[in-house]
Amino acid sequence: MRLTAKPLALIILAVLFGGVMVTSAFNWWTTESSKVPAKFTEGEAAGQYNPADIRGSYTFGDIEKNFAVPAAQLAAAFALPAGTDPASFKVNQLESIYEGPEVEIGTASVRLFTAFYTGLPYDLAEEESYLPRQAVEILTALGTLSPERLAYLAAHTVDLDAPAAVETALPVTVEGTPAPQVSGTPNAEHTPQAVDGTVRGKTTFQELLDWGVPQERIEAVLGGPMPAPGVVIKDYVTAQGKEFAAVRDALQAEVDAVLKK
Amino acid sequence: MASLTATLTRITRRRIWPRTLIQIFFFAFIALVSINHTLAESGAGIPFLSSASLHALCPFGGVVSIYQYATTGTFVQKIHDSSFILMILVTFLAVLFGPVFCGWVCPLGSIQEWVGKLGKKLFKRRYNNFVPLKLDRVLRYARYLMLAWVLYMTAVTGKLIFADIDPYHALFNLWSSEIAVGGVIVLAVTLVGALFVERPWCKYACPYGALLGLTNLFRVFKIRRKEEACKNCSLCSRSCPMNLPVNTARVIRDPQCISCLECTTEGVCPAPGALEFSAGGK
Repeated sequence: MRLTAKPLALIILAVLFGGVMVTSAFNWWTTESSKVPAKFTEGEAAGQYNPADIRGSYTFGDIEKNFAVPAAQLAAAFALPAGTDPASFKVNQLESIYEGPEVEIGTASVRLFTAFYTGLPYDLAEEESYLPRQAVEILTALGTLSPERLAYLAAHTVDLDAPAAVETALPVTVEGTPAPQVSGTPNAEHTPQAVDGTVRGKTTFQELLDWGVPQERIEAVLGGPMPAPGVVIKDYVTAQGKEFAAVRDALQAEVDAVLKK
Repeated sequence: MASLTATLTRITRRRIWPRTLIQIFFFAFIALVSINHTLAESGAGIPFLSSASLHALCPFGGVVSIYQYATTGTFVQKIHDSSFILMILVTFLAVLFGPVFCGWVCPLGSIQEWVGKLGKKLFKRRYNNFVPLKLDRVLRYARYLMLAWVLYMTAVTGKLIFADIDPYHALFNLWSSEIAVGGVIVLAVTLVGALFVERPWCKYACPYGALLGLTNLFRVFKIRRKEEACKNCSLCSRSCPMNLPVNTARVIRDPQCISCLECTTEGVCPAPGALEFSAGGK
């Protein structure tokens, strides 16, 4: 049987596009990750999802669903820009917004954070990962880390210029969006932010510290210890069952007092 | 509109014009989808057009995922069901017709051919004859080494190692942040090389071409030469983009054949029925 170019062209198109259509009809054709990570197959964690399999295409919401790490907690840990919806924020967007000369805050950092947060096994020798100080503070506050993991964090912490002043809607990877910079070396001193001075619904505790408000004054207003600096004040206050407006006004008074000096 | 008509007229004057149209179609399709993928990530995607990633539309992604899928039930990072499905469809086509994916569909092969047309104009008959025969024979095995390396490294690391040097991925990510420097370098070398040698990546380095080419050993439809009808003009060999000695073979089983049909009677062969793409017989 002889075959010429025209029927061959039609056969190629029919097989490729027909195949896609048929598999689509059976819901087999997917071009995106199912957002379900692989499970541990052995050891104490057998049957649980493996944080090392978190992909860059996962959103913080996917991680919350699979690992029960709150998306808001992840947002605080990685100091997402103000106005960002944590649930729809993709892990691989971190690499775009945190540009650093020596260390990378990206997908590997989220895997590390998730593993430490949940207490699941994680091979620290697999890839060297760094975490922002806010993330480290959240993890250490859990009080569940082993000495080995604490030592690892101590050597893999970076101070970030928190991107809180960036007023942008999702996605934050759009070209031209100001990228928060990772300071030159791990464990470097924190660089203060430019002064804004207005406490809003998206203001973090880090911003208050950057504006010069002492931690003890913040804690006095809160009536207790201050959480990780990257936490959004409103989220924290609301979670504590307090009225944000009252706390905001008290903190604003502290800020004004500092700025007047 | 007039220039489009003129272009179409020029294309259809070619004997194997359906292949040219298919090549242009797939090149444009992949380019559009890839651009749309970038746009979609910034919330400005074009409706009704797929915004799948390039990895999701690459059948070779399915090949490199086979080991991990068999051992853990998961895909290599960035690879999805679609890659597996495309791998199966392309394999089906290859078993029937040989590596038609390489000769008709692959946009990287197409752009090498198009750059090669400039090379032909520049170097005339010297084009595609720069590499000494002995060296060429040895280099042709390199793509099997590449295939073995890619499969091994992907199996060991569970990562899409090849993406870092993949010229196809680089070609359609020149505008995106996903581009890899290694891929750009290999792409540049490939396109410059295509000015001297037709399809240099396909001949010497493509791991997927290496795999698909093996189907030429048993494909259902084969390029067959009838000695009694052949005029021994060697036009078939000279027109073969892969430099195969078509004029001395009875059946083309060489793994380098890309089933482009340029050598056949429908293509350059002047002897009716001397070279045909057919099934049945020996």
